[in-house]
Amino acid sequence: MHLRTNQQRRTSRPTWLLMAASLFLAPAVMANVTIDDDPAEEAEVEEDKEEILALVGGEIHTGLGGVLRDATLLVREGKIAAFGYDVDVPEDAEVVDVSGLRIYPGLIAVGSFGLFGSSGNLDDSVDPYNQNMTLALAAGITTAVDGNSVAKLKRGHVDGLVVSSSAFESLSYSNGNPQGQLKVENDLKGAADYIRAYRAWEQEKKSNKEAKEPSKKGVDQKALRILRGEIRPRFNADERTDLLEIAQLAQRFGFRPIINGCREGWTVADELGRAGATAIVTPRTRRPKDESLLREGGSSIENASTLYKHGVNVVVVPASRGISLGGIVGQDLLHLPVEAGFAIRGGLPELAGLRSITIEAARVLGVDYRIGSIELGKDADLIVTDGDLLHYQTFVQWAIVDGEIVYDKQAEMFFAHIRPRPETALAPAERMDSGEEAPADAPEVEPAEDAGEEPVIEEPVIEESGGEEPEANEDPEESEVPAESEESENTEQTAGSSGA
Amino acid sequence: MILSPLLLLGPIAAAPAAPVQGDLFVIKAPRVELGDGEVMEHAVILVEDGEIVTMGQDLPIERGIPVIELEEGQVVMPGLVNPYSRVGMTGGGYNDSRPQVMASAELYPSAAYEAFLENGVTTVGQYPAGQGIPGQAVAIRPEGDTAGEMIVEDGVYLKIVMRNNSSAKRNLRDGFKKADDHLKKVEKEREKFDKAQAKAKSDKKSKSKSKATFVPPPADPRVQPFFDLREGKLRALVSIRNAASYEHLVDAIGDEEFDWSLRIPLTRDIDVFHVADKVGERGCFVLMEPLITLVPGTLRQRNLPAEFERAGANLVLLPRTDTKAGFESFLEDVGVMIGAGLDRKAAVRAITHNPATFMGLGDRLGSLSEGKRANLLIFSGDPFQPDTKLDAVMLDGKFVSGDMDQ
Repeated sequence: MHLRTNQQRRTSRPTWLLMAASLFLAPAVMANVTIDDDPAEEAEVEEDKEEILALVGGEIHTGLGGVLRDATLLVREGKIAAFGYDVDVPEDAEVVDVSGLRIYPGLIAVGSFGLFGSSGNLDDSVDPYNQNMTLALAAGITTAVDGNSVAKLKRGHVDGLVVSSSAFESLSYSNGNPQGQLKVENDLKGAADYIRAYRAWEQEKKSNKEAKEPSKKGVDQKALRILRGEIRPRFNADERTDLLEIAQLAQRFGFRPIINGCREGWTVADELGRAGATAIVTPRTRRPKDESLLREGGSSIENASTLYKHGVNVVVVPASRGISLGGIVGQDLLHLPVEAGFAIRGGLPELAGLRSITIEAARVLGVDYRIGSIELGKDADLIVTDGDLLHYQTFVQWAIVDGEIVYDKQAEMFFAHIRPRPETALAPAERMDSGEEAPADAPEVEPAEDAGEEPVIEEPVIEESGGEEPEANEDPEESEVPAESEESENTEQTAGSSGA
Repeated sequence: MILSPLLLLGPIAAAPAAPVQGDLFVIKAPRVELGDGEVMEHAVILVEDGEIVTMGQDLPIERGIPVIELEEGQVVMPGLVNPYSRVGMTGGGYNDSRPQVMASAELYPSAAYEAFLENGVTTVGQYPAGQGIPGQAVAIRPEGDTAGEMIVEDGVYLKIVMRNNSSAKRNLRDGFKKADDHLKKVEKEREKFDKAQAKAKSDKKSKSKSKATFVPPPADPRVQPFFDLREGKLRALVSIRNAASYEHLVDAIGDEEFDWSLRIPLTRDIDVFHVADKVGERGCFVLMEPLITLVPGTLRQRNLPAEFERAGANLVLLPRTDTKAGFESFLEDVGVMIGAGLDRKAAVRAITHNPATFMGLGDRLGSLSEGKRANLLIFSGDPFQPDTKLDAVMLDGKFVSGDMDQ
């Protein structure tokens, strides 16, 4: 569908220019039209036209608790410009009818590999067409950490991917390495002393101009930034003792740790909560407790929920950070929402489950000012699903990054054939279980629609509204479109659009 | 000229043993592929000194001009043009920017070039080896005792290799940046000169006349090709690895404007179909092999040459390997692509007219019409049928291969 809309836009452009030419300064502009194949000129036209995308009729889950049923979301220049019930859709907007579907903020994977084709300087080495990126988008992921960069899955683009080039500041503080622990402690202590001395100097400066600024010499810069609250350190820790010590360290020096792993966090959730920790957990982790110890230990399905109840912010990440199509599958990035679903099985509230792969993930990466929730002015990184995101049966129908549709389930070869999207874009009233037949042909829907909406059925999901109607008569390709969809074979369309 | 008496002449007179009039002869062909996709039936081609002087349907032929009368079923086609080969060359390359390197420096006549003529290739573009920006290609005729005799035109395109990494993008960006730097340097020199000039004028009026003109400092040989690109004197051929490299190429080019075309190897499965529309919109030349490829990671077949051609690109087909074996099966391979949906006219263009135009030789060769070189092939039937034989190869009006006599 998306591909076709693009084509429409392309073919419509010259027409649009021609109209302008005949209306205004005819000969001069006509000259412009004739050199239309000049790519630079083309690009200019593209930029002049404001890109507006309208998702109409969907159930908007903001990711912060709000749910707006049958609402409209408007994207302008890649940002969320408006959403709600009284949103005016401009005539030149690309309209996607998402009635019956849900809109969520795009998911964020706080660890990944292989989604961008290669690592290093992403702007120079990304493969924006690689299969893993498409699959990750199919899983709803629109932003991922690659190396230590936070980057968007902007399919087909090689620039503007990187949101932040420093995802995490790692700190090692483990019982197994007492000397390392000592160094971290000393660094933090030195930084704390420096900050105290600096504040004292700031006060003294007011009365005594001779006062000497404390020396920065020997003060660890990273520790200083941590204590000033500029960065949050990330620790890798799973064992109870490590977790406790990190919590104590954090409380002693007054910073909020990010703890990756946190397998036995449920046994010390209270302490972690009081330390203001954020835990990056994998709910499907399986590890028995160490039987030589009396205390509680090992993994627990309730880990995420226990941590959450004690005030620990929870971020979920699958066991494998790549896309695995072989071996033991089901625990890779393709199953990020499923992983969050397991946290819910363990007692995590549903909203916290959604937040654990959206806004909380954005927060630990320091990019929540741009992404992670549906809020006005934030980047339009959105996914449209055909059901509850955290349900195992749900598919992502569209993924949108910076206001551009970069994944369309029906246009890609991976999942198009599984429960094809109905022609009307109306999701089935009842969820189907295995064995039931998919309503691919959905003939019963048509009588229900009134005749006036016929075009909507023919060109069902995306349409260019307004202004561009006349071109339909001129463009021979245009007339083929309804004929093609009259055959109403979803599978055939798929084959066509991927050009088999 | 020959033209005028010819037009005056009456009935056809095919005299095999006529007095020799220099290098003048006529080919009468029942069917001629013109190279631009069109076909001429009952064609008469008058050749003088290796050039097609006139050509038309059922033209009368002057008495005394030797006539090569082809049999019914035989088809004439322009000599094939292979713009991308290293056969006969042995040098290695580097992975950096050496745009000043000329492949012609490597040129050395050898028996290896016979493989071209035997298989109907009458014009060859030979490119320099290496990654990065290895240098400029040379157009040759695969016949001659010295390199000088072989060269048709030097510097026909600049080869650029684009990969998904910063060094490949840097090569391109830096090239143009250095050109800008040079311009700035010239500007500074000019200012200096003007000042000196003004000073000299005010000092002594007699001396100023002697250095009246400003001579700009010469450009570094590594920089000059980038000026040539900008000025349209040189075209670029960018070899890309996949769809992503195309995006990186466009990104690296930025606002720079120059004539560039694409080399897209289909020797392994490749995902360039993602950018077929974008490439088609540009309408540049696309050099690829006549091969059916798979969508990477799947068993879905795609006819990428046909897709790019339909999208609007100017298709140029290359033998699937740059070896004698590749040349031998070339026309058959192209036939397979036609069977798989490639437009036949486009296929003919893609092996004759398009590659010649790509190298800037389209007004001299690559098609059959007045004023073009008499580089032509005579087939026993449809050139794309596997049982068709290449009866003869004519290069610049002389049979150089096959079993036909002049």
